[in-house]
Amino acid sequence: MEVMRHASTFLLPSSSPPTGDGPALTYALVVLNQRLPRFAPLLWSRAQLRVCADGGANRIYDGLPELFPDQDPLDVRLRYKPDVIKGDMDSIRDDVKEFYSNLEVKIVDESHDQDTTDLHKCVAFVCNSIPDPEKSNLCILVVGALGGRFDHEVGNINVLYRFSNIRIILLSDDCLIYLLPKTHRHEIHIQSSVEGPHCGLIPAGAPSTSTTTTGLQWDLTDMGMSFGGLISTSNIVCGAKVTVRSDSDLLWTISIRRAN
Amino acid sequence: MDSIRDDVKEFYSNLEVKIVDESHDQDTTDLHKCVAFVCNSIPDPEKSNLCILVVGALGGRFDHEVGNINVLYRFSNIRIILLSDDCLIYLLPKTHRHEIHIQSSVEGPHCGLIPAGAPSTSTTTTGLQWDLTDMGMSFGGLISTSNIVCGAKVTVRSDSDLLWTISIRRAN
Repeated sequence: MEVMRHASTFLLPSSSPPTGDGPALTYALVVLNQRLPRFAPLLWSRAQLRVCADGGANRIYDGLPELFPDQDPLDVRLRYKPDVIKGDMDSIRDDVKEFYSNLEVKIVDESHDQDTTDLHKCVAFVCNSIPDPEKSNLCILVVGALGGRFDHEVGNINVLYRFSNIRIILLSDDCLIYLLPKTHRHEIHIQSSVEGPHCGLIPAGAPSTSTTTTGLQWDLTDMGMSFGGLISTSNIVCGAKVTVRSDSDLLWTISIRRAN
Repeated sequence: MDSIRDDVKEFYSNLEVKIVDESHDQDTTDLHKCVAFVCNSIPDPEKSNLCILVVGALGGRFDHEVGNINVLYRFSNIRIILLSDDCLIYLLPKTHRHEIHIQSSVEGPHCGLIPAGAPSTSTTTTGLQWDLTDMGMSFGGLISTSNIVCGAKVTVRSDSDLLWTISIRRAN
Protein backbone atom coordinates (compact mmCIF):
# COMPACT_ATOMS: atom_id res chain seq x y z
CA MET A 1 0.00 0.00 0.00
CA GLU A 2 1.37 3.37 -1.01
CA VAL A 3 2.36 5.97 1.55
CA MET A 4 0.76 9.43 1.55
CA ARG A 5 2.74 12.12 3.37
CA HIS A 6 1.27 15.13 5.10
CA ALA A 7 2.88 18.16 6.72
CA SER A 8 1.30 21.47 7.80
CA THR A 9 4.32 23.40 6.59
CA PHE A 10 1.99 26.04 5.15
CA LEU A 11 1.40 27.19 8.76
CA LEU A 12 5.08 27.95 9.29
CA PRO A 13 6.19 31.57 8.92
CA SER A 14 6.94 32.44 5.26
CA SER A 15 10.58 32.96 6.09
CA SER A 16 11.05 29.36 7.28
CA PRO A 17 13.46 27.19 5.30
CA PRO A 18 11.97 24.10 3.62
CA THR A 19 11.67 21.26 6.14
CA GLY A 20 11.88 18.37 3.72
CA ASP A 21 8.74 16.99 5.37
CA GLY A 22 6.09 15.98 2.89
CA PRO A 23 5.85 16.73 -0.83
CA ALA A 24 6.17 20.19 -2.41
CA LEU A 25 2.64 21.36 -3.01
CA THR A 26 0.76 24.03 -4.97
CA TYR A 27 -1.69 25.76 -2.66
CA ALA A 28 -5.05 27.34 -3.36
CA LEU A 29 -7.11 29.20 -0.76
CA VAL A 30 -10.91 29.16 -0.47
CA VAL A 31 -12.55 31.65 1.88
CA LEU A 32 -16.03 30.83 3.20
CA ASN A 33 -18.39 33.01 5.18
CA GLN A 34 -17.13 32.84 8.77
CA ARG A 35 -14.76 35.05 10.74
CA LEU A 36 -11.21 34.80 9.32
CA PRO A 37 -8.64 32.94 11.41
CA ARG A 38 -5.79 35.15 12.61
CA PHE A 39 -3.30 33.40 10.25
CA ALA A 40 -5.38 34.10 7.11
CA PRO A 41 -2.70 36.47 5.69
CA LEU A 42 -0.10 33.68 5.97
CA LEU A 43 -2.33 31.25 4.04
CA TRP A 44 -3.01 33.96 1.46
CA SER A 45 0.74 34.38 0.91
CA ARG A 46 1.15 30.62 0.38
CA ALA A 47 -1.62 30.34 -2.20
CA GLN A 48 -1.33 30.77 -5.94
CA LEU A 49 -5.06 30.96 -6.41
CA ARG A 50 -7.48 32.68 -4.02
CA VAL A 51 -11.22 32.14 -4.27
CA CYS A 52 -13.97 33.66 -2.15
CA ALA A 53 -17.23 31.79 -1.82
CA ASP A 54 -20.01 34.38 -1.82
CA GLY A 55 -20.04 35.88 1.71
CA GLY A 56 -16.37 34.98 2.05
CA ALA A 57 -15.79 38.16 0.06
CA ASN A 58 -17.36 40.14 2.92
CA ARG A 59 -14.93 38.46 5.33
CA ILE A 60 -11.90 39.43 3.21
CA TYR A 61 -13.18 42.97 2.74
CA ASP A 62 -13.93 43.52 6.46
CA GLY A 63 -11.57 41.08 8.14
CA LEU A 64 -8.19 41.66 6.50
CA PRO A 65 -8.01 45.39 7.35
CA GLU A 66 -8.86 44.34 10.94
CA LEU A 67 -5.79 42.09 10.95
CA PHE A 68 -3.65 45.07 9.91
CA PRO A 69 -5.10 47.85 12.09
CA ASP A 70 -2.10 50.16 11.53
CA GLN A 71 -2.51 50.15 7.79
CA ASP A 72 -4.89 51.98 5.47
CA PRO A 73 -7.89 49.69 4.83
CA LEU A 74 -7.92 50.45 1.12
CA ASP A 75 -4.24 49.51 0.80
CA VAL A 76 -4.93 46.21 2.58
CA ARG A 77 -7.93 45.47 0.36
CA LEU A 78 -5.96 46.19 -2.80
CA ARG A 79 -3.17 43.92 -1.62
CA TYR A 80 -5.53 41.08 -0.73
CA LYS A 81 -7.57 40.92 -3.88
CA PRO A 82 -9.14 37.52 -4.62
CA ASP A 83 -8.88 35.96 -8.06
CA VAL A 84 -12.51 34.87 -8.17
CA ILE A 85 -15.71 35.30 -6.18
CA LYS A 86 -18.06 32.40 -6.75
CA GLY A 87 -21.31 31.05 -5.38
CA ASP A 88 -24.97 31.85 -4.82
CA MET A 89 -24.37 35.57 -4.40
CA ASP A 90 -27.02 35.68 -1.68
CA SER A 91 -24.61 36.66 1.10
CA ILE A 92 -22.13 39.04 -0.54
CA ARG A 93 -22.89 42.67 0.29
CA ASP A 94 -23.62 45.06 -2.58
CA ASP A 95 -20.78 47.40 -1.62
CA VAL A 96 -18.31 44.52 -1.42
CA LYS A 97 -19.45 43.14 -4.77
CA GLU A 98 -19.10 46.55 -6.38
CA PHE A 99 -15.63 47.09 -4.88
CA TYR A 100 -14.21 43.85 -6.24
CA SER A 101 -16.07 44.14 -9.51
CA ASN A 102 -14.40 47.53 -10.07
CA LEU A 103 -11.04 45.82 -9.47
CA GLU A 104 -11.98 43.38 -12.22
CA VAL A 105 -12.18 40.39 -9.90
CA LYS A 106 -14.03 37.64 -11.75
CA ILE A 107 -17.48 37.24 -10.20
CA VAL A 108 -19.24 34.00 -11.09
CA ASP A 109 -22.90 33.68 -10.18
CA GLU A 110 -23.83 30.05 -9.54
CA SER A 111 -27.26 30.60 -8.01
CA HIS A 112 -28.83 28.30 -10.60
CA ASP A 113 -27.03 25.34 -9.04
CA GLN A 114 -28.74 24.50 -5.76
CA ASP A 115 -27.45 20.95 -5.56
CA THR A 116 -23.93 21.61 -4.33
CA THR A 117 -22.52 23.70 -1.51
CA ASP A 118 -20.45 26.84 -2.09
CA LEU A 119 -17.33 24.93 -1.04
CA HIS A 120 -18.05 22.16 -3.53
CA LYS A 121 -18.38 24.73 -6.32
CA CYS A 122 -15.12 26.41 -5.33
CA VAL A 123 -13.20 23.14 -5.08
CA ALA A 124 -14.47 22.10 -8.52
CA PHE A 125 -13.44 25.50 -9.87
CA VAL A 126 -9.93 25.26 -8.39
CA CYS A 127 -9.48 21.74 -9.79
CA ASN A 128 -10.54 22.91 -13.23
CA SER A 129 -8.15 25.89 -13.03
CA ILE A 130 -5.05 23.82 -12.28
CA PRO A 131 -3.39 22.11 -15.27
CA ASP A 132 -3.33 18.32 -15.02
CA PRO A 133 0.38 17.78 -14.28
CA GLU A 134 0.10 19.99 -11.19
CA LYS A 135 -3.14 18.45 -9.89
CA SER A 136 -1.38 15.72 -7.93
CA ASN A 137 0.52 18.39 -6.00
CA LEU A 138 -2.54 20.55 -5.39
CA CYS A 139 -3.60 21.32 -1.83
CA ILE A 140 -6.71 23.42 -1.20
CA LEU A 141 -6.69 25.36 2.08
CA VAL A 142 -10.16 26.36 3.29
CA VAL A 143 -11.04 28.91 5.95
CA GLY A 144 -14.52 29.57 7.31
CA ALA A 145 -15.79 25.98 6.85
CA LEU A 146 -16.17 25.21 10.57
CA GLY A 147 -18.31 26.63 13.35
CA GLY A 148 -21.60 28.41 12.74
CA ARG A 149 -24.47 26.26 11.52
CA PHE A 150 -23.81 22.56 12.02
CA ASP A 151 -25.39 21.51 8.72
CA HIS A 152 -23.03 23.87 6.88
CA GLU A 153 -20.07 22.37 8.72
CA VAL A 154 -21.16 18.84 7.82
CA GLY A 155 -21.79 19.83 4.20
CA ASN A 156 -18.23 21.15 4.08
CA ILE A 157 -16.76 18.04 5.67
CA ASN A 158 -18.66 15.98 3.10
CA VAL A 159 -16.77 17.85 0.36
CA LEU A 160 -13.58 16.21 1.71
CA TYR A 161 -15.21 12.81 1.13
CA ARG A 162 -16.61 13.71 -2.29
CA PHE A 163 -13.21 14.95 -3.52
CA SER A 164 -11.23 12.28 -1.69
CA ASN A 165 -8.46 12.28 -4.30
CA ILE A 166 -7.68 16.01 -3.72
CA ARG A 167 -5.86 17.32 -0.66
CA ILE A 168 -8.31 19.69 1.04
CA ILE A 169 -7.62 21.09 4.52
CA LEU A 170 -10.30 22.85 6.60
CA LEU A 171 -8.80 25.38 9.02
CA SER A 172 -10.06 27.41 11.94
CA ASP A 173 -8.28 29.34 14.68
CA ASP A 174 -8.51 26.21 16.85
CA CYS A 175 -7.76 23.25 14.60
CA LEU A 176 -7.40 21.78 11.13
CA ILE A 177 -9.10 18.77 9.55
CA TYR A 178 -8.35 16.66 6.50
CA LEU A 179 -9.24 13.26 5.11
CA LEU A 180 -6.96 10.21 5.35
CA PRO A 181 -8.25 7.99 2.53
CA LYS A 182 -8.25 4.26 3.31
CA THR A 183 -6.40 3.62 0.06
CA HIS A 184 -3.09 4.74 1.57
CA ARG A 185 -0.86 4.37 4.60
CA HIS A 186 -0.41 7.85 6.05
CA GLU A 187 2.62 9.62 7.47
CA ILE A 188 1.85 12.89 9.22
CA HIS A 189 4.95 14.97 9.93
CA ILE A 190 4.02 17.09 12.93
CA GLN A 191 5.08 20.77 12.84
CA SER A 192 5.12 21.14 16.59
CA SER A 193 5.86 24.86 16.59
CA VAL A 194 2.44 25.53 15.04
CA GLU A 195 0.22 22.51 15.70
CA GLY A 196 -0.65 19.96 18.36
CA PRO A 197 -0.59 18.36 20.77
CA HIS A 198 -4.34 17.65 20.79
CA CYS A 199 -5.53 15.45 17.95
CA GLY A 200 -8.15 12.93 16.89
CA LEU A 201 -9.13 10.35 14.29
CA ILE A 202 -12.78 10.26 13.30
CA PRO A 203 -14.66 7.62 11.25
CA ALA A 204 -17.27 10.08 10.05
CA GLY A 205 -18.80 8.20 7.19
CA ALA A 206 -18.79 4.64 8.31
CA PRO A 207 -17.32 2.53 11.11
CA SER A 208 -13.74 1.33 10.90
CA THR A 209 -13.10 -2.32 11.71
CA SER A 210 -9.34 -1.94 11.95
CA THR A 211 -7.18 1.13 12.49
CA THR A 212 -3.53 1.09 13.56
CA THR A 213 -1.48 4.13 14.54
CA THR A 214 1.96 5.06 15.81
CA GLY A 215 3.09 8.33 17.39
CA LEU A 216 0.02 9.00 19.53
CA GLN A 217 -0.24 8.90 23.32
CA TRP A 218 -3.12 6.45 22.97
CA ASP A 219 -2.14 4.51 19.87
CA LEU A 220 -4.64 2.20 18.21
CA THR A 221 -3.63 -1.33 17.31
CA ASP A 222 -6.02 -3.06 14.92
CA MET A 223 -8.83 -1.25 16.75
CA GLY A 224 -12.39 -0.75 15.59
CA MET A 225 -13.90 2.77 15.78
CA SER A 226 -17.49 3.94 15.39
CA PHE A 227 -20.06 6.43 16.58
CA GLY A 228 -21.67 4.90 19.62
CA GLY A 229 -18.38 3.22 20.46
CA LEU A 230 -14.75 4.29 20.49
CA ILE A 231 -13.64 7.37 18.56
CA SER A 232 -10.14 8.72 19.04
CA THR A 233 -10.70 12.22 20.41
CA SER A 234 -8.62 14.21 22.90
CA ASN A 235 -5.60 12.18 21.85
CA ILE A 236 -2.08 13.62 22.04
CA VAL A 237 0.74 13.54 19.48
CA CYS A 238 4.06 12.30 20.85
CA GLY A 239 7.03 13.25 18.77
CA ALA A 240 7.67 14.15 15.18
CA LYS A 241 5.64 11.65 13.19
CA VAL A 242 2.24 9.99 13.35
CA THR A 243 1.35 7.05 11.11
CA VAL A 244 -2.17 5.84 10.38
CA ARG A 245 -3.46 2.85 8.54
CA SER A 246 -7.18 2.01 8.40
CA ASP A 247 -9.83 0.07 6.52
CA SER A 248 -12.04 3.14 6.53
CA ASP A 249 -11.68 6.78 5.44
CA LEU A 250 -10.83 8.78 8.57
CA LEU A 251 -10.78 12.47 9.39
CA TRP A 252 -7.52 13.59 11.00
CA THR A 253 -7.79 16.66 13.21
CA ILE A 254 -5.08 18.47 15.18
CA SER A 255 -5.16 21.61 17.30
CA ILE A 256 -3.46 24.78 16.11
CA ARG A 257 -1.24 26.60 18.59
CA ARG A 258 -2.14 30.14 19.53
CA ALA A 259 0.66 32.58 18.75
CA ASN A 260 2.17 33.99 21.94
CA MET B 1 -10.72 20.20 37.09
CA ASP B 2 -7.92 21.23 34.74
CA SER B 3 -9.76 24.25 33.28
CA ILE B 4 -11.71 25.75 36.20
CA ARG B 5 -9.96 28.83 37.57
CA ASP B 6 -8.92 28.86 41.22
CA ASP B 7 -11.01 31.94 42.04
CA VAL B 8 -14.06 30.42 40.38
CA LYS B 9 -13.62 27.13 42.20
CA GLU B 10 -13.28 28.95 45.50
CA PHE B 11 -16.38 31.08 44.86
CA TYR B 12 -18.66 28.11 44.21
CA SER B 13 -17.08 26.00 46.92
CA ASN B 14 -17.97 28.78 49.39
CA LEU B 15 -21.58 28.57 48.14
CA GLU B 16 -21.44 24.85 48.95
CA VAL B 17 -21.74 23.80 45.33
CA LYS B 18 -20.76 20.14 45.12
CA ILE B 19 -17.40 19.86 43.37
CA VAL B 20 -16.59 16.38 42.10
CA ASP B 21 -13.06 15.74 40.84
CA GLU B 22 -13.01 13.09 38.10
CA SER B 23 -9.45 13.57 36.90
CA HIS B 24 -8.72 9.88 37.52
CA ASP B 25 -11.05 8.92 34.67
CA GLN B 26 -9.37 9.76 31.37
CA ASP B 27 -11.51 7.42 29.25
CA THR B 28 -14.64 9.51 28.95
CA THR B 29 -15.28 13.12 27.99
CA ASP B 30 -16.52 15.74 30.42
CA LEU B 31 -19.93 15.64 28.75
CA HIS B 32 -20.14 11.87 29.12
CA LYS B 33 -19.39 12.16 32.84
CA CYS B 34 -22.02 14.86 33.29
CA VAL B 35 -24.69 12.95 31.37
CA ALA B 36 -23.98 9.87 33.46
CA PHE B 37 -24.24 11.98 36.61
CA VAL B 38 -27.56 13.53 35.56
CA CYS B 39 -29.00 10.11 34.73
CA ASN B 40 -27.95 8.74 38.09
CA SER B 41 -29.48 11.75 39.83
CA ILE B 42 -32.93 11.34 38.30
CA PRO B 43 -35.20 8.68 39.88
CA ASP B 44 -36.15 5.87 37.53
CA PRO B 45 -39.83 6.77 36.91
CA GLU B 46 -38.77 10.21 35.62
CA LYS B 47 -35.92 8.97 33.42
CA SER B 48 -38.15 8.47 30.39
CA ASN B 49 -39.17 12.12 30.57
CA LEU B 50 -35.64 13.40 31.03
CA CYS B 51 -34.12 15.81 28.49
CA ILE B 52 -30.57 17.06 28.91
CA LEU B 53 -29.81 20.47 27.35
CA VAL B 54 -26.12 21.07 26.65
CA VAL B 55 -24.40 24.38 25.87
CA GLY B 56 -20.77 24.79 24.87
CA ALA B 57 -20.46 21.41 23.09
CA LEU B 58 -20.00 22.85 19.58
CA GLY B 59 -17.35 25.01 17.93
CA GLY B 60 -13.77 25.20 19.18
CA ARG B 61 -11.67 22.07 18.72
CA PHE B 62 -13.23 19.67 16.24
CA ASP B 63 -12.23 16.56 18.19
CA HIS B 64 -14.05 17.94 21.25
CA GLU B 65 -17.14 18.59 19.13
CA VAL B 66 -17.07 15.05 17.75
CA GLY B 67 -16.49 13.55 21.20
CA ASN B 68 -19.60 15.44 22.37
CA ILE B 69 -21.68 14.29 19.40
CA ASN B 70 -20.57 10.74 20.14
CA VAL B 71 -22.14 11.07 23.60
CA LEU B 72 -25.53 11.40 21.82
CA TYR B 73 -24.86 8.02 20.19
CA ARG B 74 -23.57 6.38 23.37
CA PHE B 75 -26.63 7.48 25.37
CA SER B 76 -29.07 6.99 22.50
CA ASN B 77 -31.94 6.15 24.88
CA ILE B 78 -31.70 9.59 26.61
CA ARG B 79 -32.89 12.85 25.05
CA ILE B 80 -29.78 15.05 24.81
CA ILE B 81 -29.81 18.32 22.85
CA LEU B 82 -26.62 20.21 21.95
CA LEU B 83 -27.21 23.96 21.53
CA SER B 84 -25.22 26.89 20.22
CA ASP B 85 -26.19 30.42 19.22
CA ASP B 86 -26.61 29.17 15.65
CA CYS B 87 -28.29 25.77 15.85
CA LEU B 88 -29.30 22.74 17.86
CA ILE B 89 -28.55 19.05 17.28
CA TYR B 90 -30.08 15.84 18.60
CA LEU B 91 -30.19 12.18 17.73
CA LEU B 92 -33.14 10.52 15.96
CA PRO B 93 -32.70 6.84 16.87
CA LYS B 94 -33.56 4.41 14.08
CA THR B 95 -35.78 2.49 16.50
CA HIS B 96 -38.55 5.09 16.18
CA ARG B 97 -40.53 7.11 13.67
CA HIS B 98 -39.99 10.77 14.55
CA GLU B 99 -42.36 13.73 14.61
CA ILE B 100 -40.64 17.08 15.00
CA HIS B 101 -43.04 19.89 15.86
CA ILE B 102 -41.32 23.03 14.60
CA GLN B 103 -41.40 26.08 16.88
CA SER B 104 -41.04 28.54 14.04
CA SER B 105 -40.81 31.63 16.23
CA VAL B 106 -37.49 30.39 17.61
CA GLU B 107 -36.06 27.87 15.15
CA GLY B 108 -35.63 27.22 11.46
CA PRO B 109 -35.93 27.36 8.58
CA HIS B 110 -32.48 25.86 7.87
CA CYS B 111 -32.12 22.21 8.81
CA GLY B 112 -30.33 18.97 8.03
CA LEU B 113 -30.27 15.22 8.58
CA ILE B 114 -26.86 13.64 9.03
CA PRO B 115 -25.88 9.94 9.02
CA ALA B 116 -22.80 10.53 11.17
CA GLY B 117 -22.13 7.02 12.31
CA ALA B 118 -22.95 4.88 9.36
CA PRO B 119 -24.65 5.23 6.00
CA SER B 120 -28.42 5.09 5.76
CA THR B 121 -29.88 2.88 3.05
CA SER B 122 -33.37 4.28 3.37
CA THR B 123 -34.63 7.53 4.87
CA THR B 124 -38.06 9.05 4.28
CA THR B 125 -39.19 12.48 5.39
CA THR B 126 -42.15 14.83 5.18
CA GLY B 127 -42.27 18.55 5.86
CA LEU B 128 -38.98 19.53 4.25
CA GLN B 129 -38.43 21.57 1.10
CA TRP B 130 -36.30 18.73 -0.27
CA ASP B 131 -38.00 15.67 1.21
CA LEU B 132 -36.31 12.29 1.05
CA THR B 133 -38.26 9.29 -0.19
CA ASP B 134 -36.60 5.96 0.58
CA MET B 135 -33.30 7.71 -0.09
CA GLY B 136 -29.82 6.53 0.85
CA MET B 137 -27.49 8.98 2.60
CA SER B 138 -23.77 8.73 3.29
CA PHE B 139 -20.56 10.72 3.55
CA GLY B 140 -19.13 10.88 0.06
CA GLY B 141 -22.66 10.88 -1.33
CA LEU B 142 -25.89 12.66 -0.42
CA ILE B 143 -26.32 14.21 3.00
CA SER B 144 -29.31 16.43 3.69
CA THR B 145 -27.77 19.80 4.55
CA SER B 146 -29.05 23.32 3.83
CA ASN B 147 -32.57 21.89 3.76
CA ILE B 148 -35.58 24.03 4.71
CA VAL B 149 -38.53 23.21 6.97
CA CYS B 150 -41.93 23.89 5.38
CA GLY B 151 -44.73 24.16 7.86
CA ALA B 152 -45.41 22.97 11.35
CA LYS B 153 -44.25 19.38 11.38
CA VAL B 154 -41.39 17.30 10.04
CA THR B 155 -41.48 13.50 10.10
CA VAL B 156 -38.44 11.24 9.73
CA ARG B 157 -38.11 7.51 9.40
CA SER B 158 -34.76 5.86 8.73
CA ASP B 159 -32.87 2.58 8.91
CA SER B 160 -29.95 4.42 10.50
CA ASP B 161 -29.46 6.69 13.51
CA LEU B 162 -29.51 10.28 12.20
CA LEU B 163 -28.56 13.62 13.66
CA TRP B 164 -31.28 16.26 13.26
CA THR B 165 -30.04 19.85 13.19
CA ILE B 166 -32.03 23.07 12.84
CA SER B 167 -30.97 26.70 12.91
CA ILE B 168 -31.92 28.92 15.83
CA ARG B 169 -33.40 32.30 15.00
CA ARG B 170 -31.54 35.41 16.11
CA ALA B 171 -33.69 37.58 18.38
CA ASN B 172 -34.60 40.88 16.69
